[in-house]
Amino acid sequence: PSWIPFKIGQPKKQIVPKTVERDFEREYGKLQQLEEQTRRLQKDMKKSTDADLAMSKSAVKISLDLLSNPLCEQDQDFLNMVTALDTAMKRMDAFNQEKVNQIQKTVIEPLKKFGSVFPSLNMAVKRREQALQDYRRLQAKVEKYEEKEKTGPVLAKLHQAREELRPVREDFEAKNKQLLDEMPRFYGSRLDYFQPSFESLIRAQVVYYSEMHKIFGDLTQQLDQPGHSDEQRERENETKLSELRALSIVADD
Amino acid sequence: MADPGADEPSSRSGSTDQAGQGSKDRLLLHQRLAIRELIDTEVSYLHMLQLCALDIRSHLQQLPQEDLDVLFSNMDDIIQVSSRFLHGLQEMASMEEEQAHLIGNLFLEFQEEFERVYKVYCANYDQALLLVKAYRKEPELQQEIQGIIEAAVPQAGPSGLSFLLVIPLQRITKYPLLLQKILENTLPNASAYPILQRAMSALQGVNSNINEYKMRKEVASKYTKVEQLSLRERLARINTHTLSKKTTRLSQLLKQEAGLVPRTEDKDFNDLEEKFQWVSLCVTELKSNVAAYLDNLEVFLQFRPHECSLDISGGPAEQYRSLARDLQLEVFLEFKQRLEGLVWKPLCSLTRALVGPQNLIKKRLDKLLDFERVEEKLLDVGSVTYEEEEARHTYQALNSLLVAELPKFNQLVMQWLTQILHSFVALQRDLADQVLRRAESSMVQLPHHRAPEPDFRKLLEDTLGQTCSQLHSFQENFEKVLPHPSTQPLLPGSEYQMQALLTKYGPGKLYQVMSNISGTGTLDLTLPRGQIVALLQNKDTKGNSSRWLVDTGGHRGYVSARKLQLYHMAPSEKALRGLVAPHENFQLLTPEPTPAPSPTVQAMTQVVAAYPFVARSSHEVSLQAGQPVTILEAQDKKGNPEWSLVEVNGQRGYVPSSFLVSSPSPASWGWTLPS
Repeated sequence: PSWIPFKIGQPKKQIVPKTVERDFEREYGKLQQLEEQTRRLQKDMKKSTDADLAMSKSAVKISLDLLSNPLCEQDQDFLNMVTALDTAMKRMDAFNQEKVNQIQKTVIEPLKKFGSVFPSLNMAVKRREQALQDYRRLQAKVEKYEEKEKTGPVLAKLHQAREELRPVREDFEAKNKQLLDEMPRFYGSRLDYFQPSFESLIRAQVVYYSEMHKIFGDLTQQLDQPGHSDEQRERENETKLSELRALSIVADD
Repeated sequence: MADPGADEPSSRSGSTDQAGQGSKDRLLLHQRLAIRELIDTEVSYLHMLQLCALDIRSHLQQLPQEDLDVLFSNMDDIIQVSSRFLHGLQEMASMEEEQAHLIGNLFLEFQEEFERVYKVYCANYDQALLLVKAYRKEPELQQEIQGIIEAAVPQAGPSGLSFLLVIPLQRITKYPLLLQKILENTLPNASAYPILQRAMSALQGVNSNINEYKMRKEVASKYTKVEQLSLRERLARINTHTLSKKTTRLSQLLKQEAGLVPRTEDKDFNDLEEKFQWVSLCVTELKSNVAAYLDNLEVFLQFRPHECSLDISGGPAEQYRSLARDLQLEVFLEFKQRLEGLVWKPLCSLTRALVGPQNLIKKRLDKLLDFERVEEKLLDVGSVTYEEEEARHTYQALNSLLVAELPKFNQLVMQWLTQILHSFVALQRDLADQVLRRAESSMVQLPHHRAPEPDFRKLLEDTLGQTCSQLHSFQENFEKVLPHPSTQPLLPGSEYQMQALLTKYGPGKLYQVMSNISGTGTLDLTLPRGQIVALLQNKDTKGNSSRWLVDTGGHRGYVSARKLQLYHMAPSEKALRGLVAPHENFQLLTPEPTPAPSPTVQAMTQVVAAYPFVARSSHEVSLQAGQPVTILEAQDKKGNPEWSLVEVNGQRGYVPSSFLVSSPSPASWGWTLPS
């Protein structure tokens, strides 16, 4: 609105059309969100795989400690069971490491690489912004001289200002166009870029859990267990507890 | 007619027969009576129990539930067993001949059940009595209880509750006596005899087992409780008595260590204890390892990578998202819950169960040391105090208790541990099964699901390589958005200087100083950032091409070439400055304007010089920026509009037309040139 007294350096004319500005903000906004999500996904995947590895390691510790108990020397059945368990755990740990390596290579690394483009983008957007500021400043300067009484020196300055303005405006427009072209392309590239990673993630799960299913399936066969239901198992636990409690040496709790 | 002689023996034998028969009959009668007594007393016993457990108990509402449980203990179980027993007894009421035999069998059948229910009741009895005693201290309560009891069981008398509660104890001890009575009235050669004998000794056995159980429970409950004492309580506990106990134990232990006193070796016990320690270790280690496993599982469940969509819908990304959601929210959660219920919870119960035996073992050792000292004293002095005897008895009780029960304990724990480990393995398999099912169904929808894994990995590697270089090109493109080349502002007041250099040397020779230069040698210049200089030589006298000779417009000297950048001007600007015309270099135009034969005075328009101009010949005239000029002709003699004939400051001459700016209003002087 023309009644607003303009500050030095601020042009009155809207030099960038609203639609252009809106388009730019929309495209850049989408990319900023994508940057945030990429970073978060990378972080979460890393933490998830770390926890996965930790779980596997503590499973190995279970069987390792059992194996080192002197009971194994006395009780052959116990020793057999614990040895079989230990073998299974160690194999699963190896497969788990492989799985994590695959995820690192095919998911986390690509995420990182994708994320590394954003600083360049952000820098480019900053430069466009700077060019816009320069543009505005010079535009304001031109308008200032245009407002004044047209004396000789004023005319000279007006000319100068106009000539100063022109390259800056062209620079801004070039940057603007460049970004408006590249940003959607970059945003769109995520589709082709990431789909293979997700495919790899799913496949890695299948590979790992197939092994796990086989190994623990074999182990249950080997330990000669009947396929109990959870209720049955709970009842077995209750029975054992009451048998223990029937002994005088066991304190009532 | 009976032969008297013949009669006598027969009558005599008949009478002995009769006598024999008579005694037999009497025996049988007594037996029947004894059996009758058994059955009748069982009936009234059961009736009384039912009155207690149902009627009286339900009326004693003012007592808290826990108290009622202690008082009546497992009376319900006893009632159950007794009613079945009674039923068995009543079934055989009709079978007169075989009744005794059947009764014997019945007792043998029921002996285990009797032992099971009565031992619990008897072991609990003392506690019940304590409660009864406590109630007697409160006269009001006592009256109420008494009233309720008398209403149901008038014959209870003033002792009321205790009268009722002792009844089961009386009954179980009565069985052997009842059996004995039946046995006494049974002929030794009867088929029932051995059975009844066995039954009687069985019931006697039951009673002694019950007693032993009770005694053990007493000893165990004294020492198994983990007492949570405050510091003050602990201090209060340490009286001289305990102190002396502790010191004598220590000295005893020391004597043992020193070999002064033979240690009471009990290899069997030591083996047992060692196994117990290993079993304990197994349980505690397993529990802490499972705890660690569960903790890591918790952490794993925290992360939800599937919630980051990257704004990609459809395709493998979508597949992964729904798979991960299923796994995190269903499959792994279920796994965790099952793990907690079937592995963690039992391990906690096991850990708690270890406490009792641990305490008993410790106490046994303490008492052992006491015991040894007592033995020594006995040897020395010949007699011991009552208290010292006590220590011996306690040690022996603990020892026999542990020896009796530890093997079973160890065995049970091992069995349970094995069960738990089996569950753990089964849970892992189930987890794998669940995940695999879902992952495989996701996989079928993937584009490359038919490809074997090695092929897929190769393909993926290649793809990632390509996309990586594509990313690179994006990055480069963004980096090409460069800062504006001439963002260096001109120093204030340097406009004129720049113009002068420009005019003299041309645009290609102008450089801007990018960062402050401080000259060191005598011929070196010191220049601020932003200064415009013109290049004279791009190397120094020694041929060093990094040291350039430049002209600042006022001075000449050497500067480091590194710090200079070609000064860009936009083409239009250059044109305006009259140096590079829209189509050609200035110098190629007619070097001089063709002067008109005679200047014709034209209409005066107020015009101003936009830029300074230095005349190079007599046909030209110099201009200062802002000077008002009068255009005499807007072209030269040849009609070239690029030159204008003007009058300025009283002088006439040609100037480049582009240097002029027209203004509609009269000029007012303003701007002065710096000198």
